[in-house]
Amino acid sequence: MRISTSWGAQQAVNTMLDRQYDLSQTQLALGNGKAIQTPADNPAAAARAVDVTSASAQNDQYTRNIQSANTKLSAEESTLSSAGDILDRIRTLTLEGMNGTQTDQSRQAIAVELKQTLGQLVALGNTKDGQGEYLFAGSRTSTQPFTQSDLSVSYGGDQNQRMVAAAAGLQVATGDSGSDVFMSIRGGNGTFVTSAGATNTGTAVVGATSVTDASQWDGGSYTVNFTSATTYEIHDATNPTGPALSTGTYSGDSGTINFKGAQLNVTGTPAAGDSFAVGPSSSQDVFSTVAGIITALGTPGGGAAMNNQLNAQLQNLDQAQTSFTDTITKIGARMNILDQQTQISADTSLQYAGTLSDLTELDVASAASKFSQQQAALDAAQQSYVKMQNLSLFNYLK
Amino acid sequence: MADLLSTGVSGLLASQVGLATVGHNISNVNTAGYTRQTTTFNARAPEFNGGYYVGQGADAISVQRAYSQFLTQSVWSASSGQSRAAQYANLTASVNNAVSGSANLQTALDGFFGSVSDVANAPIDTASRQAMIGKANTLVATFKSLSSQFQQLDQQTNQQISAAVDSINSLAKSIADLNGQIQKGYAGGAVPNDLLDARDQAVSQLSQIVGVNVTQTSDHMYTISVGNGQPLVNGTDATKLSTANNQYDSSRLEVVGPSGSVISNQLGSGSLGATFDFRTNVLDPARNQLGRAAIAMTDAFNKQSAQGIDLNGAAGGDFFSISDPAVFNNTKNTGTGSVTATVSDVSKLDASDYIMRFDGTNWSATTTAGVSVPMTGAGTAANPFVIGGLSVVVGAGAAAGDSFQIQPTRNAASTMSVAVSDTNKIAASGPLAATKGAGNTGKGVLGNLTVTDVTNPAFNTPATITFTSPTTYSINGGAPQTYADGDTITGPGWTLKLTGSPAANDTFSVKPAGSASGDNGNALALANVATKGVLDNGVTTVGKSYSQLIAQVGTAGAQANTALTAQQSILDQATASQQSLSGVNMDEEAANLLRFQQSYAASAQVINTANTIFNSLLSAVQGT
Repeated sequence: MRISTSWGAQQAVNTMLDRQYDLSQTQLALGNGKAIQTPADNPAAAARAVDVTSASAQNDQYTRNIQSANTKLSAEESTLSSAGDILDRIRTLTLEGMNGTQTDQSRQAIAVELKQTLGQLVALGNTKDGQGEYLFAGSRTSTQPFTQSDLSVSYGGDQNQRMVAAAAGLQVATGDSGSDVFMSIRGGNGTFVTSAGATNTGTAVVGATSVTDASQWDGGSYTVNFTSATTYEIHDATNPTGPALSTGTYSGDSGTINFKGAQLNVTGTPAAGDSFAVGPSSSQDVFSTVAGIITALGTPGGGAAMNNQLNAQLQNLDQAQTSFTDTITKIGARMNILDQQTQISADTSLQYAGTLSDLTELDVASAASKFSQQQAALDAAQQSYVKMQNLSLFNYLK
Repeated sequence: MADLLSTGVSGLLASQVGLATVGHNISNVNTAGYTRQTTTFNARAPEFNGGYYVGQGADAISVQRAYSQFLTQSVWSASSGQSRAAQYANLTASVNNAVSGSANLQTALDGFFGSVSDVANAPIDTASRQAMIGKANTLVATFKSLSSQFQQLDQQTNQQISAAVDSINSLAKSIADLNGQIQKGYAGGAVPNDLLDARDQAVSQLSQIVGVNVTQTSDHMYTISVGNGQPLVNGTDATKLSTANNQYDSSRLEVVGPSGSVISNQLGSGSLGATFDFRTNVLDPARNQLGRAAIAMTDAFNKQSAQGIDLNGAAGGDFFSISDPAVFNNTKNTGTGSVTATVSDVSKLDASDYIMRFDGTNWSATTTAGVSVPMTGAGTAANPFVIGGLSVVVGAGAAAGDSFQIQPTRNAASTMSVAVSDTNKIAASGPLAATKGAGNTGKGVLGNLTVTDVTNPAFNTPATITFTSPTTYSINGGAPQTYADGDTITGPGWTLKLTGSPAANDTFSVKPAGSASGDNGNALALANVATKGVLDNGVTTVGKSYSQLIAQVGTAGAQANTALTAQQSILDQATASQQSLSGVNMDEEAANLLRFQQSYAASAQVINTANTIFNSLLSAVQGT
């Protein structure tokens, strides 16, 4: 076959240009470490890389969300833990106040200290987080949730819980409303409350109460009427003059009263005509409980009336303590979920990084070896071109 | 007796022609389109000398091109194909560069949705809200930047189209002129080789720009047509192609044939055909896909925004804004009718453009490619035509034959903007708050409050759910309804799940969250728009539609590169075959040079011999 001299030379030049282009592409890839320079290099991988990058960014965002949630939850936890300490202090002070050796004056002093403690408790309820938002205001986070006026404290927040997106489809609460933690605390033992009749003259004091048989307790309101120091009748509070529902005897000094699955531990000696009301628990906020204690301690006289009131409030205080502990437990559970999710996110992030690297990052070893092969090819093309160019008959026509 | 002198001279002259041709070949070794020439010699008619013929030398009778019409036409056709593939690959690579550059939409989307999540984590923090507006502006800027790169490519195609048409016209003129010169050249009986080469070269250049159909007439002229038989060169006449604005969209050029009709879609091969092909099959779909993503983003985010309330307690307004679909009148419309289009259902919006036609009584819709599209409705504001997620309202006054083009998505991305600049106006909070009555004695617990319809007229009316017994409740004193643990209570535009056992007289209330609400319900939902299927009947997320664009553009680029490699090798083969016949080989020319040099020297020797003989004769005569 004939070879056209200029076409042959052009072909040789084209070959060199092609080799040079290959070499420059490999060099470019080696320079920026990317396996895909433009989507045309590998459309499927390029599109997938976009998806994976996005999923990875989303995953990182979840991790940041979790960090912000953890900050909030930790703040809440430490606040509630301080609040629990304050309740312990209140309990100690209350028990101190119930001590028989106290006088009206010394009880007044305790009441004054308790008032300060109440202020501390309100201040804790009004704790702000690092971003200046109230922790316990529900979604009214820019309004102070608890307002104190003398002994009464009102709640101005709502009951919303703010959530955080911890993973696709997983939202975790980042807080609890003040209403749930401080306000909606069930009174008494959580099922029923007792209170001494205002006209009681005996020394009987109701101590711990409990539900021994939940199936019998019907949630009604009842009155325990002592007909003598050792006998009592149970009446339906809505029909006080009706027939007694049941009767029982009391040891006269210390014992239990049982009816409808409820049990009351009573100490002291009741007088005939003394009564105790037993009714279903309603909610009582922790501030009212403390206020009740302060009022009881501050009222001169002491004795069984005060002790009955304080005992009832101590039960309420226990409920408040339980509410705090429960909330701290819930916070712990949430932080656990968040920690697990952080771990999962970290693993996922590694996987994404691996996938992304497989898709878009250059295999430097193979690219380097490709580079030297292409270099050799260019070298060969150049040398053969020069040799070919010397092969001309005209060289011999001299 | 034959004249040895004149025989020698004939050899001398013939060798000179041979040498001249070799010299011409050598000189033109690098001339594009040059065809190697060879000299043919013939023995002169012999002289009859009684019993025998005596030869009288040689004549150079012709100089011929080593030419094959078939091989040359193969090269034209292959170079049309290669030039088309090269242009297509070039333009497609520009789109690929645009999407692989720094303006990565996905990164901007991720950044924006990340900032929305940050607002969800700190809903009343002004800094977070400011950052979200900043990231929104970055996102919009990225949409606009990509859109403007695509628009620039569109303008480049216009420039290339008009440059190509100019070249076609000038080449057609040269070919027509050469036709005339060649016809005259043949008039002397000889073959005007170099003119033929020049004409073939012009045709070759033309075929790179546009696919041509070449036929030769009996008087050696080329007749050339393009497209579907549009005549371009006929004898010594060249007709002109021209450019004109698209009948709908004046921002783009079309090619108009000599008869006045648009032939843009008939220019199969050559770089001009590739330019149109690229515009229709790569650039427009990419621009539409980008616009569709912008519309989907705007629509989905605004819809979710409307579900919440801002820090002022007002219902969430539009966060992004984007223009309605563009509608273009056909410049040939005779009526005064109008067409307006709005996007009514993003989930059904595709990347097509549509043509609306009025036949005097009825309207019909097709895609730009002419495929009929189903359409419902009457075209009135109350009952608009519905075409692929669009609502189209037609105004009165259209004449029969009038048509309009709707481009729902083409330039949408460039019109996107952030509608919110006041940080207070980000609707991060859910619109309602549920509260448990303070004096509740039962154990009813609030569950999820779900907003179903913010447009319900009674939506913002505070509602109190009062339990008249543990199993019955009424809303705002309405009709009693029964309750069981875990029931969902339905109010005007919302539902509330309650669990546990409420007691009689317990209350729960649902009322507007009001201003300065630190709730983050709607911010969480806004962040979730990132993973929400909004396009293609609720399957494709905004981000996914961008990765589809990447795949689409990348695939076009990969195909273009493959096609270019294939076309290049076809062209190389065709050229090698043609050059094998017609190209100049220097070794061959060197050999021929030697050959003719030798025959020239030998002929000179013959003349010398004739001279010696004559001298011998003269001296013999003088000697006697």
